[in-house]
Amino acid sequence: MRRVLALQLGLLIPLIAGIGAWAFGVSQLNRQAIGPYGVLANANAWFILGLVLLLAGMLAELSRPRARTWLLGAYLIGLIVAIHTTVPLLYGGTPEYAWVYKHVGVAQEFGRYQRVTDTSNIYQEWPALFTSVASISSLGNAGPLSFAAWAPVAFELADALLLLGIFRLLTADRRLPYLAVLLYEGLIAWVGQDYLSPQAFGYLLWLGIMAVVVRWLLVPEPAHARRRFINRVRAFLLARRPSPQQASASMRWVAFGLVAVLYFAIVAAHQLTPYIVLPGVTALVLLGVVWRGWLLVVLLAVVAVGFLVPRYGLISSQFGGVFSGGDVFENASGSQGILHKAAELRTGEVVHLLAGLMWLGAAAAIVVRWRSLGRVALPAVLAFSPFVVLGVQSYGGEAIYRVFLFSAPWCALLIAELIAELRGALRPLASAMACAVALAAGLQGLWGPTAVYAFTPPELTASNWLYQHAAPGSVLVLAADNFPGLQVANYRSYELVIAPSDPQDGAAWLDEGNVLDVEEWLVSLGHPTVYVVFSQSMANYASYFGYPTGYGALAKAVVGNPRWHAVYRNPDVVIYRVTVG
Amino acid sequence: MTERSLSLRQPWTRTGLTAWTGIAASIAAPALLAAPGRAPNLAGAFVLACLPAGAAVMCWVDSGDGLIQAGLTLVLSLSATAILSACLIWLTAWQPRALFAFAIVGVVSCVARLVFGGRPCCALRQ
Repeated sequence: MRRVLALQLGLLIPLIAGIGAWAFGVSQLNRQAIGPYGVLANANAWFILGLVLLLAGMLAELSRPRARTWLLGAYLIGLIVAIHTTVPLLYGGTPEYAWVYKHVGVAQEFGRYQRVTDTSNIYQEWPALFTSVASISSLGNAGPLSFAAWAPVAFELADALLLLGIFRLLTADRRLPYLAVLLYEGLIAWVGQDYLSPQAFGYLLWLGIMAVVVRWLLVPEPAHARRRFINRVRAFLLARRPSPQQASASMRWVAFGLVAVLYFAIVAAHQLTPYIVLPGVTALVLLGVVWRGWLLVVLLAVVAVGFLVPRYGLISSQFGGVFSGGDVFENASGSQGILHKAAELRTGEVVHLLAGLMWLGAAAAIVVRWRSLGRVALPAVLAFSPFVVLGVQSYGGEAIYRVFLFSAPWCALLIAELIAELRGALRPLASAMACAVALAAGLQGLWGPTAVYAFTPPELTASNWLYQHAAPGSVLVLAADNFPGLQVANYRSYELVIAPSDPQDGAAWLDEGNVLDVEEWLVSLGHPTVYVVFSQSMANYASYFGYPTGYGALAKAVVGNPRWHAVYRNPDVVIYRVTVG
Repeated sequence: MTERSLSLRQPWTRTGLTAWTGIAASIAAPALLAAPGRAPNLAGAFVLACLPAGAAVMCWVDSGDGLIQAGLTLVLSLSATAILSACLIWLTAWQPRALFAFAIVGVVSCVARLVFGGRPCCALRQ
């Protein structure tokens, strides 16, 4: 017994060494030294060694014919924790991404005012995530800012739990689900959809729906259709399909109820997620593999439309309606008109290549099995059905990222199944190559812009100071569109304005290099006193994206200007009160 | 051996474990919330939002897979929290302490499962 225990503890040595090396590496990283190519380019040997040990340890275990799943699970947890806590640890628990602070503000607003105060605010009309955060915050006696930075690691661990469960139901190979989830973690690392947000919440609940469908609602054979053509197509697509899990009729009805609850929570939390869920479920129903499929689709559609109808005006005004644009290529092109520059361009190319390889790999896995499509039918349908969304909406340029995210789990499973078919030394070699490439590219996408999107504690302190000291009704001007703001309950009492210094906003953009032009624009805001904020992350933003072009010149020019009075200063932020007019 | 004593003596089934987890969470959450200090309070709030409601359902439903069982317990709890808290806002009856209802439901359902449940809900007939 002691020997077994000692052996099992010995197995943990690479894992513990990996975590230890990574943690020591993080403690030795200097956040000021992180440049435009991000964390990986500026990492020390300990940090890289830690990640390599974790990956190598998991791959070594995956290469064993009788892999220990508890150890694979431990490695997976270690990797997810290392990937998604690096930035919060480096930046003192300050949440990453400026838009997270807006979400925090909405939750704080619900906590304080205890009702919907603005029906034209899209966040308040889809409130479920924000009200949940407000509840937890109120009961826990702690503001959302105290835990928001840890949302990505929490969401990723929960996603991985459900994905592992789903993949275990879909395959008999006990190693394959772990390989697929490892691949998935690399593939989606760059998408950045796991921060404290309704979409991350909706995604987790969608995985719950998929778990219920795969476990209880799949049927062995499609019902006989009246048209012979449909039967033939289904027979071809479902050839040699593995038998799904068994379930009683009463359990299937219970599963219907579980799906309805999960779907209603999604519908009340996020505008787009319900419509990405529908094509996947509908595609499975068209294949004929879902029990009482059309009833399920109708149920989901009724819930989605029933919630949407009273709020359609808001969607119409902000996104031009649900069916705002059928130009698939335009909707697939992501954020339109963004200027690309050096590091941002390189990192962008890396993740575009990764996305292309993912879909190519998934397509290859389907083509290889063209004689037995049933073996891949379910993941194949789920991997490519999210593209339907691109036919109707761009969602402000974000739709393609959601399509990628909802497609990624099934693509990862398809690629992992393809790798699992390989024999001999090829299998571990291909596993190592695929996972290393996916992780390296995904982590470059995730950590490449860290110096831009992560905020230091002094920046958050400065933002909180501003809201505490500026009188309600004040105009707060950001010299560049990158600063923690709107995180307070009464954020709507302030007018937060971003200097229109981005050439992409239109022809008449403000040249920040010219102080007189800037002051003239400040006069046009119609307030005698405005607060203007300059920060380190704004400087990083301007350097990374190449705009606002005059940011650095303005920051220097206003020093000592009698109309620009510095009212707050810390190592990363200067706030000026500007008297104009 | 009666069916009742069987379920109490076999806690290591998936539904049995879910029930015990639900009971533990339903008791631990209010205790943590009542304890002094922000850290235990926050931990209690998360436990309340993440476990009892889902355990109340999943202690009756055997998914056949431990990870699915745990995952569905989590997402059902979060869904219940989201729906209840959104309803409190819509009804302008904001009272986050309403989430304590999950602890009560969790204890009642999970204890009932352990005491009365010999066979998980809706299992296939052998």
